Amino acid sequence: MNFVQNIPALSILLLMFCGIVCLVLPARWARHLADCAIALVCAASVVLWVAFLRGQEVFTYSMGEIGAPFGNELRAGMLEAAAATLFSAVTLLSILGGRAHLRADIGKKKVNLYYISVLFLLCSMLALVYTNDLFTAYVFVEINTITACGIVMSKEDGYTLAASMRYFIMSLIGSGLFLIAVSILYALTGHLLMSNIQEEVAALYASGQYRAPLQVSIALMGVGLSLKSALWPFSSWLPDAHSSASASSSAMLSGLVLKSFIFLLVKVFYRVVGVTIIPTHAILDLLLVFGILGMIMGSVNALFERDIKRMLAYSSIGQIGYIFCGIGLGTIAGVAAAMVQIAVHACTKAMLFCAAGGLMDASGGSKKFKDLEGAGRRDTYAGVAFIVGTLSMIGIPFFGGFITKLSLVTAAVEVGGWRNTLSILAIIVSTILTAIYYINVLAIIFRGAETGPTTAREKLREQWKKQMRLDTEYELAIVLFILLNLAIGLQSDRLMDVIRTGLAMFG
Amino acid sequence: MTNVYTLLKITDKLTLQFGSDPTGRFFLCLVTIMWILVGIYAQKYKEHQKHNARFFTFYILTWVMLASLTMAANYLTMYLCFEFMTLLSMPLVLHNGTPESIAAAKKYLFYSIFGATLGLMGMFFVNTYGTTLAFTAGGVLDPAKIAGHETLILWVAFLSIAGFGAKAGLFPLHAWLPTAHPVAPAPASAVLSGCITKAGVLCIIRLVYQIYGVQLLRGTWVQMALIILALITVFMGSMMAFGEDLMKKRFAFSTVSQVSYVLLGVFTMNETALLGALLHAAYHSIIKDGLFLCAGTIIFWTHKEHVSEMKGLGRKMPVTFGSLAIFSLGLVGIPPFAGFLSKWYLASGSLSEGLPVLSWLAPAILLLSALLTAGYLFPICIHGFFPAEGEPEAEGKEGSALMLVPILILAAATVLIGIFASPLKDALQAAAATMF
Amino acid sequence: MNGIAILIVIMLPILGGALLPLLDFDARKARMYYVMAIVLATSVLCLSLISGSEGTQFVLYHLTSTIDIAFRIDRFGSVFALLVSVLWPLSTLYAFEYMSHSHKRNRFFGFFTMSFGITLGVAFSGNLITMYLFYELLTLSTLPLITHDGSREAKVAGVKYLVYSIAGATAAFIGMIAVLTRGGSLEFNVIGLGSAVTEANRNFLDAAFLFMFFGFGVKAALFPLHGWLPTAGVAPTPVTALLHAVAVVKSGVFAIGRVVYYTYDAGYLAGSIVQKVALWFAAFTIVYGTVMAWKELHFKKRLAYSTVSNLSYILFAFLLATPQGLTAGLLHMIFHGLMKIALFFVAGAVMHQSGKTYVTELGGFAKAMPISFGVFTIASVALIGVPPLCGFLSKYAIAVAAVDEGSVSGYLGIAALLISAVFTSMYLLTIVVKAYFPGEGFDPASLKDVKEANWYMTLPLIALAVLMIVLGCLPGGLTQFIAGTLADAFPGL
Repeated sequence: MNFVQNIPALSILLLMFCGIVCLVLPARWARHLADCAIALVCAASVVLWVAFLRGQEVFTYSMGEIGAPFGNELRAGMLEAAAATLFSAVTLLSILGGRAHLRADIGKKKVNLYYISVLFLLCSMLALVYTNDLFTAYVFVEINTITACGIVMSKEDGYTLAASMRYFIMSLIGSGLFLIAVSILYALTGHLLMSNIQEEVAALYASGQYRAPLQVSIALMGVGLSLKSALWPFSSWLPDAHSSASASSSAMLSGLVLKSFIFLLVKVFYRVVGVTIIPTHAILDLLLVFGILGMIMGSVNALFERDIKRMLAYSSIGQIGYIFCGIGLGTIAGVAAAMVQIAVHACTKAMLFCAAGGLMDASGGSKKFKDLEGAGRRDTYAGVAFIVGTLSMIGIPFFGGFITKLSLVTAAVEVGGWRNTLSILAIIVSTILTAIYYINVLAIIFRGAETGPTTAREKLREQWKKQMRLDTEYELAIVLFILLNLAIGLQSDRLMDVIRTGLAMFG
Repeated sequence: MTNVYTLLKITDKLTLQFGSDPTGRFFLCLVTIMWILVGIYAQKYKEHQKHNARFFTFYILTWVMLASLTMAANYLTMYLCFEFMTLLSMPLVLHNGTPESIAAAKKYLFYSIFGATLGLMGMFFVNTYGTTLAFTAGGVLDPAKIAGHETLILWVAFLSIAGFGAKAGLFPLHAWLPTAHPVAPAPASAVLSGCITKAGVLCIIRLVYQIYGVQLLRGTWVQMALIILALITVFMGSMMAFGEDLMKKRFAFSTVSQVSYVLLGVFTMNETALLGALLHAAYHSIIKDGLFLCAGTIIFWTHKEHVSEMKGLGRKMPVTFGSLAIFSLGLVGIPPFAGFLSKWYLASGSLSEGLPVLSWLAPAILLLSALLTAGYLFPICIHGFFPAEGEPEAEGKEGSALMLVPILILAAATVLIGIFASPLKDALQAAAATMF
Repeated sequence: MNGIAILIVIMLPILGGALLPLLDFDARKARMYYVMAIVLATSVLCLSLISGSEGTQFVLYHLTSTIDIAFRIDRFGSVFALLVSVLWPLSTLYAFEYMSHSHKRNRFFGFFTMSFGITLGVAFSGNLITMYLFYELLTLSTLPLITHDGSREAKVAGVKYLVYSIAGATAAFIGMIAVLTRGGSLEFNVIGLGSAVTEANRNFLDAAFLFMFFGFGVKAALFPLHGWLPTAGVAPTPVTALLHAVAVVKSGVFAIGRVVYYTYDAGYLAGSIVQKVALWFAAFTIVYGTVMAWKELHFKKRLAYSTVSNLSYILFAFLLATPQGLTAGLLHMIFHGLMKIALFFVAGAVMHQSGKTYVTELGGFAKAMPISFGVFTIASVALIGVPPLCGFLSKYAIAVAAVDEGSVSGYLGIAALLISAVFTSMYLLTIVVKAYFPGEGFDPASLKDVKEANWYMTLPLIALAVLMIVLGCLPGGLTQFIAGTLADAFPGL
């Protein structure tokens, strides 16, 4: 066993450990520790990824050397390593990008708690990525929920508290359904390790026994995880939660938390149910239809928003719809498209939320469009970030969004029948709507006065410009996000290879 | 065609070429002489109207295009001259600037363009199914290429010929004529009726004889349909003229009818009929120009436009009404005035062609039309010289020499060409022969 | 080396334009010199590329294993690039004067110049994906130009334009990917779809063709996707003239030409059901656009509908899928560009000098603005198709191509062409008559404040008039240039 095989376990444990340590550290130290820990985990994941690129085989890692079927297992392949890298990188950049707001939004006493939440959040996400055991998955799902609520709630105002409560409740329902599904599966198969369960499930399917409970459990798992990843119509909690939270939190929530559940869902479908069986299940059609509706409804709602963070939140619902549409198509190409979208959306949406924070800063803290006029000129980094984000969302080549559109269309075109028609129509409609509201934002934030400030509002804006604090971490984060987006756009071949190899290793 | 001169080679197949052949020369002389005479007349008439510089500019430019059309050696050149002639003659129609004249000019414009567009369609097909666009006796269509597409080619021929007929007032595209004439100044009406309609005739002659060829068209439904259209026009024109009180409009309907005499001869497709057609073209030009100049004189001096108002006017304007009488006699076709010979040849040409029904129907309608012509022309003179008892006499006076001399020349021509018919007839007979 | 030159010719105006809002010229002259310098340099460079570097291919980047961003200079693209690079300097000159009283001129000229580079990007694209990239960018760069004056009407027009364009581009994208997944190539290398055309794939490829046809057909103003064009008449005239009569709409037509001849190849389409469907839509649009133009009284909207109709002349010619169809379509693409831009310029001059926007208000204008209306008359007569002006040649070429092709749909198109010619004369000549002969009851004093536009606007007009006449009489050089596309598109010939 070579060193890299330790990385998954070490990453998770390191984060947990640092999180606990942060409890006793003063605020500044906690911050530095969190930054370093996450950076380290990111670097480690890259090492693991490179190892896989060089030919490392898929491996499982027994926790505590207790063998299956009693012990706990982690399993890592190309896809998991890539996901881990992505999650940790985006977390780091989100924290950097939203640091100024953290200072402003969170009380001095609570800063430690925030970083603890972040560390445990990333830990749970990585656990969901690496785990090979259903119950462990459930445990970390719950940890994820709690810490996610934590980072929302840390900004203490009434609105946020109400939103996070709602988020909490909806999430718990989702976790509950997941737990029920796990219980059923345990009862039917007697195993908790995913690979073992898969053998049993295959046998049960072949024999035809217990068909109904099996179907129900798969369905419950699907619905439960969809609830947590904001599939329409289970997404009503999202706009409030994501828009009221602080910039870093919104970035992490929209960009990563939702995705970690989707990753788990795909893992369940591949590793627990199996690639051959899952396309026969109606859950895929359900995910497809709801995904499509989400694509459209998310964009429709975003169109009417006059608050930039709510608009970005609804946009997330739309983009999550793309992912579920890809999964729902039922082909490997579809899942690959979903994975690409996970990567691209993580980078893009996190960037946009950080940039939104910057725009708000340049507008006296207001989120409303009417105050954001010209903000793109006052805060150029945010302006450029929004241009890049818009071009990516519309699907201009060279940007990440083009690759997701390309993969999703490729997958949709190959599928036959009603799925083909519906997805194509949905792609067209949602691209149009997305273009409209993003270009609208661009028009607003770049609106410049022809002459000097005349109205009261314009004078106010001049004041805001002077009040803006230049923050190097923020600028660095934005630049790195843009580069990440471009990297995906320019190196999509490598990315698709990674995903395909990863999916092959997955099941 | 002799003396072919290529003005411009646009592409390999599309060239602007001019040349002279007997038919073309005939029309050139005809329109030029008419243009000069009416031009002299207009020197006096222009006192009646404004913006004369504009009028004469377009007057001359129209002649230039018309003359070029007579000398056109291929389909493209003819089409170009046709279109430009339409565009340049339109301002003559709307010259007076009244809303009616502007509306009439637009009607003229669009009917002509519609007709020309149909004519253009012919060019598209001739390009593919023919050997060249240049006018060649016997037609230019390649029998090998046409094989299998006869219906298509016949329809194209029919539509393109009928299209150019718009300028010649062929039913159903004649409606612009009666609208345009009353509102245009008299000199303009004169050349419009007398000469510009002949441009349409010439285009049709070119298409029938030198593009599609008599061999293709003779005996087909196309020939029958065209003759029927011409006959309808002959009859209808006369009928409408008969009932019309506005003098210039009466003459306009008369033009509609008379030009279709010419077209009848062209469509009958034998040498005699064609001779009759060409003769009638000459006669009609002379006579109709004369009639319109008389109408203009009357309007100029008395401002009267309706026939019913002109009772007894002849006594006050003897020269004008005398000439009118001569023109009427000619148009009705009473020997020895010009007008008889053409009808004779038209009738005999039709009878000798041997088409079912139409052979005898055509002469019959010609006869009927002659009666109607008498009916709409003679009363003008009669009432002019011999108003009924108890009718008030109209006021008027005779005009200046500038206006009377052209009228008299035309009247003299009507008489002389009628009596000494041979020179013209021989020349035109030679011209007609070149078409076959 | 030549490959980099292609990149320069595209990026120079894009970067130059993008810099303009940053450079933020206050002085009008400074901005003028800057913009004109960039535009002229680009045009000159482009013309030298067209004449000297044909056959260059340049791959900029491999986006995925099957998709590249690549450029090429072939005759088909050169024809389009020629049109665009000749007309852009003229339009820029015109725009200087027209926009002299407008606001936000830096932004306007910034996007105006960027659009030049992007259009050249469309012309020099080496495959469908590259063309798609620039096609989408063109929508984005022309959007601020439409909404320039900030009025409610302009914003509505902008949204409509955006919706239609993105819908079309996405549909075309889907068609492209469909072709790609079935083993076809998106490169413009003229072997057609090659081995991808099997019995099994036929329906699939037909559907993909229709997606691309209607998708690109949005910019080509095909019925029923033309709705954005008349509404876009609210934009400043230089925009409507250059972009919506030349650059944007011709990009749509150009894209369809690429799909027909360089992706699918003429042999696939000839006689197929999709060809019939497409021809019928084109023929219908010809008549529809003309009739709507005749009914429309707003000057620029009338010309916009005329554009709708004329674009389908080009589409119709392309869809015949024959060598004559290809050359005829390209000829009309160029000639229509000249004629329509002249007509729009006159409409703009009228609006600029007198504020009048309806054709019913133009009585007697010919005397007040003789040069403008002289050119208008020439352009009208050309558009109607009277020889020896240029419009006759292109219409003639299209009709003859249809006769040669010989199918029923072809004849339908000829009928549409002829109907359109008559209506065109009606909607254009009524303006000419009204301007020259306002009739009695017209008071010349009402126009005493209306003067001819200054040389910035009249010089382009005169240049265009000269081109229309000269190219109509002596088209030899141009037709030969266009005929060069046949070597590529019909290699067997």
